[in-house]
Amino acid sequence: MAMDVEMTDEVLEVAQFYQLLTAHLEEGFGRRRPRWVRGEIAKVYEKGHVYLDMVDAGSHSDTKRPVLNAHCWATPWGPLKKRLAAEGVVLQAGMVVNVYGYVDLYAPQGRIGFTITDVDVEGLLGDVARRRQELIARLLSEGLVDKNKHTVLSAVPLRVGLVASPGTEGYNDFTGQLLNSPFSFEVTVVKTLVQGDGAPLQIAAALGALDERGVDVICVVRGGGSKGDLASFDDERVARAIANCTTPVFTGIGHTGDESVADLVAHTHAITPTKLGEEVVGIVARWYDSNVQDPARRLLNFSRDVLDEASVYLAERRRTMIFAVRDRLRAEERHLATMRERLVAQGRAVLRSAELMLQSNRQLVVAYDPARRLAQGWSVVTNAHGAVVKSLGDIGVGDDVDVRVSDGVFGARVTKKETR
Amino acid sequence: MSVNEWNDAADELNAIVASFDEGEVSVDELFAKLERATAIIEALEERLALTKAKVEELTPRISRIVEDE
Repeated sequence: MAMDVEMTDEVLEVAQFYQLLTAHLEEGFGRRRPRWVRGEIAKVYEKGHVYLDMVDAGSHSDTKRPVLNAHCWATPWGPLKKRLAAEGVVLQAGMVVNVYGYVDLYAPQGRIGFTITDVDVEGLLGDVARRRQELIARLLSEGLVDKNKHTVLSAVPLRVGLVASPGTEGYNDFTGQLLNSPFSFEVTVVKTLVQGDGAPLQIAAALGALDERGVDVICVVRGGGSKGDLASFDDERVARAIANCTTPVFTGIGHTGDESVADLVAHTHAITPTKLGEEVVGIVARWYDSNVQDPARRLLNFSRDVLDEASVYLAERRRTMIFAVRDRLRAEERHLATMRERLVAQGRAVLRSAELMLQSNRQLVVAYDPARRLAQGWSVVTNAHGAVVKSLGDIGVGDDVDVRVSDGVFGARVTKKETR
Repeated sequence: MSVNEWNDAADELNAIVASFDEGEVSVDELFAKLERATAIIEALEERLALTKAKVEELTPRISRIVEDE
């Protein structure tokens, strides 16, 4: 192959060439002239330092797309990662991110790279929020947000499947509520990570396993933490696993104010693991109250009422009988007394009447006494038979008669009879 | 003197009391009716006391359920 190039300039050694190139790059894009670069993360790898392959957003299918090999050394990455985590941001493929830094050249591999000194967290937060909203929209359009809410919760959810990290505060808070309740919960724990890259896959697998196993309710618990710590519960795999469970899934994630996508698609969500424990215990307690305690209470009250009513009834009947008999006897006594009084009164009246009659007769007798008449000059004539002569027919002329006067009797003879 | 079921016995007792209320009881009947009413009341009180005792036995067990919050 012929070369028409005229070799008029100085010929450089490779190292010299890179030194020259580095000097030019330093002048235009070096650490004294840092730039903001925007790109979509194609790959991310972290091992002390973090390495990002960044491409223009939406250029996945272009095999000749430009790639920026960016990296952030461990020293600046430590605090930067904490800031991101505090806001719930975990760098991952697909994110569009603005990075601030400068160009560097790694001569041993002949590679131009980009050293990141800062990341636009505000911009990333907007991106995270947008992705979260997009996820919720997708779940809504697929009917997954309410799917688990339509599963039927057992009236007495005593068999509890628990997705959690044993020994953590959230785990202890939740199980403490169940243990301190008067009910015998049967808890099946599937241990998972509850934060970090591996957590979403483990949580989704645990949900599936418990759903297969057959429990009354699956509870997903995680104590409070930064947004980054809770990011697993905004993961699409977790959300879909919850939505597709045929068992009701309850969540108690984080603390007041946190609401994850997992909370959104769950059957029921509580604001903390403690509150979730209270909720589960409360469901059983309400069932126990309405199906056991309340009937027992009513049974007790009913028994007491029946016995009280019977006691009152018998006492009243006893009293009534005593009074009724006493009244009846008194009535008889009164009746007899009345009769007695009436008899006495009537007897007196009869005696009085007889007395009056006797007195009257006595007066008549006195009035008609013959001696009294004889004394007045009247006399009584009797015939030979001793019969009182009351008319002329009782005697005949020539009959001898006796004439009684007040002081004796003398004989007489009838000489004539003369009618007047 | 036998006493029937509670309700039957109560009906008989009520009838005796009603006959007193209505003045239907002659002096000849009074003692017999009073004797019968007394027997019924005593039998029912005995039955009630037995039932109360049985209920008192069960009450703590039911109360434990009611108070088990």
